[in-house]
Amino acid sequence: MLSAILQALLNGLMTGALIAIPAIGFSAIFAVLRYPSFAIAGYITIGAFAGWTLNVSFGLSMEVALVGAALVAALAAVATEQTIISRLRPSGALTAAIGSIAMNLVLENIVRFFYGNDLRGYDVPLVPDVRFWGLRVGMQQIETLIISIIVMAGVFLFLTRTRFGRAMRAVADNADLARLKGIDPRKVSFVAVALGGALAGLGGVLLGADTSIDPLTGFRILLTVFAAAVLGGLGSIPGAVVGALSIGIAEELSLLVLPATYRGAVGFVAILVILTFRPRGLLGERAL
Amino acid sequence: MSLLTVEGAVAGYGAAEEILKGTAIRVEAGEIVTVIGPNGAGKSTLLKAVAGLLPLKAGRIVFEGEDVTRGDALARARNGLAFVPQERNVFGTLSVDENLVTSAFLWPADARKRADALYDKYPMLAEKRRQLARTLSGGQRQILAMAMGLMTSPRIMLLDEPTAGLSPSAADALFDAIVTLNREGMPILMVEQHAVEALEVSHRGYVVVSGRTEAEGEGRGLAADPEIRRLFLGG
Ligand SMILES: Nc1ncnc2c1ncn2[C@@H]1O[C@H](COP(=O)(O)OP(=O)(O)OP(=O)(O)O)[C@@H](O)[C@H]1O
Ligand SMILES: [Mg+2]
Repeated sequence: MLSAILQALLNGLMTGALIAIPAIGFSAIFAVLRYPSFAIAGYITIGAFAGWTLNVSFGLSMEVALVGAALVAALAAVATEQTIISRLRPSGALTAAIGSIAMNLVLENIVRFFYGNDLRGYDVPLVPDVRFWGLRVGMQQIETLIISIIVMAGVFLFLTRTRFGRAMRAVADNADLARLKGIDPRKVSFVAVALGGALAGLGGVLLGADTSIDPLTGFRILLTVFAAAVLGGLGSIPGAVVGALSIGIAEELSLLVLPATYRGAVGFVAILVILTFRPRGLLGERAL
Repeated sequence: MSLLTVEGAVAGYGAAEEILKGTAIRVEAGEIVTVIGPNGAGKSTLLKAVAGLLPLKAGRIVFEGEDVTRGDALARARNGLAFVPQERNVFGTLSVDENLVTSAFLWPADARKRADALYDKYPMLAEKRRQLARTLSGGQRQILAMAMGLMTSPRIMLLDEPTAGLSPSAADALFDAIVTLNREGMPILMVEQHAVEALEVSHRGYVVVSGRTEAEGEGRGLAADPEIRRLFLGG
C-alpha cells in the first residue's frame, strides 16, 4: 500500500509538471487581460500538431519540435487575440471568455481539417522504465519533468529580470498605474498572449510525447489546466505551478480508490471546493 | 507663459452630471500649488484629467506652451507630467526596486542610474529595496510612490493627497520631502486635506467647490483667510 501511494505521488508529480506549463500560460493571459482564455485548449492542440509535423513528417528532433510548436502556438494565440478576442474584451470578461470557447472550436476544426481525427504518436524512442525502491517512472516522464523545470525557470527569469516581464507583472498588478508610468497595456497584452500561447504549445508537445494526439487533445486537458489555475489563484504564476502539482497528485491518488473513469472529476471537485472555501485560490491575491 | 494652465475644464464619469464644470488653475515654474475643497468637489478628478486618465469634454490643458488636451495618460507621461494617485499608487506585488525600475519603462537605458540616485535621496528605500511594496508602512509607501513619479523624469509632479492616512509625524516628514523636492526645482501641483499645513508650504492655492474654482490666492494668505478657514479648515 505504501509503495502504491508513493507511486501515485510520483506519477502525480510527473502529471503536475506537465499540466503546470499550459496552466502558467493560462494564468499569464488571465493576469494581464483579465479573462479566462479557454482558447488555450486550441493553442495546446495546435502546438501538439505543429510539434508532430516537425518531429514525424520532417523527422526533426524533439528539441526542434518544442521550439517550433511554441512559435506556432504563440502565433495562433496572437492572431486569435488580435483578430477576434480584442474586439470582445470591451464588452467584459464573460464575453471574452465565451468568445475564447468559440475560438477553441475554430482552432480545433482547423487542425481537424488538415489532419483528420486519427490518433497520432510522436517519434520518441521506446526506453524501459527506470525502477528504484519498488517504484517505476518512464524516461519520457523524466524528460518532461526536466523540460518543465527549465521552462518554469525561464518564465521566472523573464518575469523578474526583463523589462517586459516586469512590465507584465506591473500591468497585472495595476493597469492604470502602469499606464501612468508609460507602459502601454496593449503591448504588454501582446507579450502575455504570445507567452501564454507558447507555453500552451510546449504543453501540447509534452502531452503528445507522453501519449498520442488528436484534435481533442487540448480540450481533454482543459478542465485540468483550468482547475490548476483556479486552485492556485487565477492570475498567479506560482499559484499555477502549485495548483498543477496539487491536481496532478490528487488525480493520481484518486485512482487508488476510484475507477479511472472518475479521474477527470477531480478537477471539477477541486474547482467547486476552492470556489466555495477559498475563492482567491491557494496563492491568489484577489477574488475571482 | 505659465508652466501648466488648465482652462474651463469640463469632465465627468460617463453619462452622469459633469464633475468638473469649468475648473481653471495654473502652475508657474518652480511653484508648489495646492488645491483644497470639500469632499467630492472634484479635486481628484481634476488631477486625473490633467494626468490624461480622464478626457476633457471642454476646455484645454497647456503644458510648457504645448496644448496637451487630447493626449492620454501614456502621452502625458512622455510629456513630463507625473501623477501620483492617492490610492493604489505602488505595485504591491513588485519589490521596491522593481517598482522604481519599472516606473522608468520609457527610459530603459538609465533606469538603473535613476533608481540609484533616488536611493541616495531616500535612504529608507535603499534599505527596503528587496521588500515587496505592499509590506511598506503608509509613509514609506508614499515616499516610494513619489520616487516612482520621479523615475519618469517629470517636469511637474501631480500629487493627490500625499499625506492621506499618515500619522502627523509621517505627514510632516512627507511635507518636508515635498518642499525639498520643490527647492531643487520641481514644480508641484497637489491636492490636500491637511489644508493648513499644505497651504503654508505652498506658493499659491486654489479652492475648488463643485467643480468650479471659487478662490485663488497666495498660500499663507489663503490659509489665514477667515472665510476659507470657516468653510474648509475647520477653524
Ligand atoms: N471613477 C468614478 N466613477 C464615477 N464617479 C466618480 C468616480 N470617481 C469619482 N467620482 C465622483 O466624482 C465626484 C468627485 O470625486 P473626486 O474624487 O474628484 O472628489 P475629491 O474632491 O477628490 O474628493 P475627496 O476629498 O473625497 O477626495 C464624486 O461625487 C465622486 O463620487
Ligand atoms: Mg480625492
